[in-house]
Amino acid sequence: MTAAGRDQALPVGLRERVLAASLQARAAGRPEPAAPEISPAEAFSRAADAFHGTLGLLDDRQWKVPALRGLDVQGLVGHLAGVEEDVQRGLAGDPGVAGANHIESTQPAADRQAGRPPAQTRAEWRHAADRTIDLVRAADLRTEVAVHGIRVPLGLLLVIRAFELWVHDNDIRAAVALPPSVPDASTLTLMTSAAVGLLPFAVTRAGLSDPLSLHLVLTGPGGGAWDIAVGQGPPAPAAVAIVTDAVGFCRLAGNRITPAGLDSHVTGDEDRATAVLAAVATLALD
Amino acid sequence: MKGTDGLLAARLAAGDEPALAEAFDRFGPAVYHAALRVLRNETAAQDVVQDVFVELWCHPDRYDPALGTLPAYLIVIARNRAVDMVRSELRRVARQDRSGRLAAEESPPSPAEEVIASHVAAAVRAAVQLLPDSQRRIVELAYFGGLTFKEAAKVAGIPEGTAKSRIRLALAKLEDELDASLLESS
Repeated sequence: MTAAGRDQALPVGLRERVLAASLQARAAGRPEPAAPEISPAEAFSRAADAFHGTLGLLDDRQWKVPALRGLDVQGLVGHLAGVEEDVQRGLAGDPGVAGANHIESTQPAADRQAGRPPAQTRAEWRHAADRTIDLVRAADLRTEVAVHGIRVPLGLLLVIRAFELWVHDNDIRAAVALPPSVPDASTLTLMTSAAVGLLPFAVTRAGLSDPLSLHLVLTGPGGGAWDIAVGQGPPAPAAVAIVTDAVGFCRLAGNRITPAGLDSHVTGDEDRATAVLAAVATLALD
Repeated sequence: MKGTDGLLAARLAAGDEPALAEAFDRFGPAVYHAALRVLRNETAAQDVVQDVFVELWCHPDRYDPALGTLPAYLIVIARNRAVDMVRSELRRVARQDRSGRLAAEESPPSPAEEVIASHVAAAVRAAVQLLPDSQRRIVELAYFGGLTFKEAAKVAGIPEGTAKSRIRLALAKLEDELDASLLESS
């Protein structure tokens, strides 16, 4: 229907009145139904439990299946045990891990798993994850932690870690032909919020300097809607809108699918939308 | 992505403000006219439209694309709200009518009021006599006998719904008759 047709069909002012009443009853941007709020520490703890659960599904043969970057499943779990150790050093303020490379720094932990019984690797990782959970339980989530080239508040770091555990959980699941897992809505909400919060940084780092007004809508559990100014200078009036589902967006942020593989609906400049989505994929630590 | 309605509903659930405006632009006219057909009152129909879209925006998950299209869902809500509004108005009128009778009993009328009341009462009784038997009986029980609609239906030996519809028809006729007779005598 055209705007003129609409105006003829409806009493004057009704549209404005209805939209205002609706937005007063529920603010824009927040998903409905909203997932129960949880702390970043709880999100990390849940991700660790889910990851541990997946490891419990594997037989000895599956631990030897190639999973990622030349690592078999056992080596990948070793990498994650190494990440926990570095995070714990970061929590203690050790400058040696602040600028360390995420992969190189954890390679010894991955390598030392070779020849071990899988149960020993699983126990080592669980012990390391539990120690992280113990260390952060009483910590101030606003405290900045520097590890693997990033310096972020502890709360955000824990969400990034939950993200990483979920991504590698699905690496392992894909390697052994298990169905993919999806985080619960509360954890997913923290993950999408973290990825959206880091999006302007990723876009700038990717060299997209032209200002852009981005309207991002993530559907499904853990979703929401955001208006984000990216690039440098004042926000451009030309806007790009991207609608996609929250889980797909997180897979993209984990660099596990490409922008072309993301089921999305774009309005505005498609090339710029693709460039923004490509920048999102660079958020992954791997 | 999902079908058009499913995608729009998913955007509404995400809190996407442009999706709300799009939903209104696409379905607002149909919702408004659905409400207007039931209510025959523009102000009341606008209230229904507001209720319907606030409901959609606040509880988008109540719409299930598997059960039908989004406009069909919205129109069903609009009709239900409009019918509820009519029922509520009927109840209000019935309550007013009953409390009016009680108030009349409580405060003695002035001589002038008595004259007017007796004139109106005579006109009403005359108009009632013109009603078909089935309608006259139920009106006498409900309005002159002081019974509730339910009690009057029971005495008349008819279902309550039938009693109400006869009363509605009777009141419409009485209105016409009384307008004519009271205007003639004024």
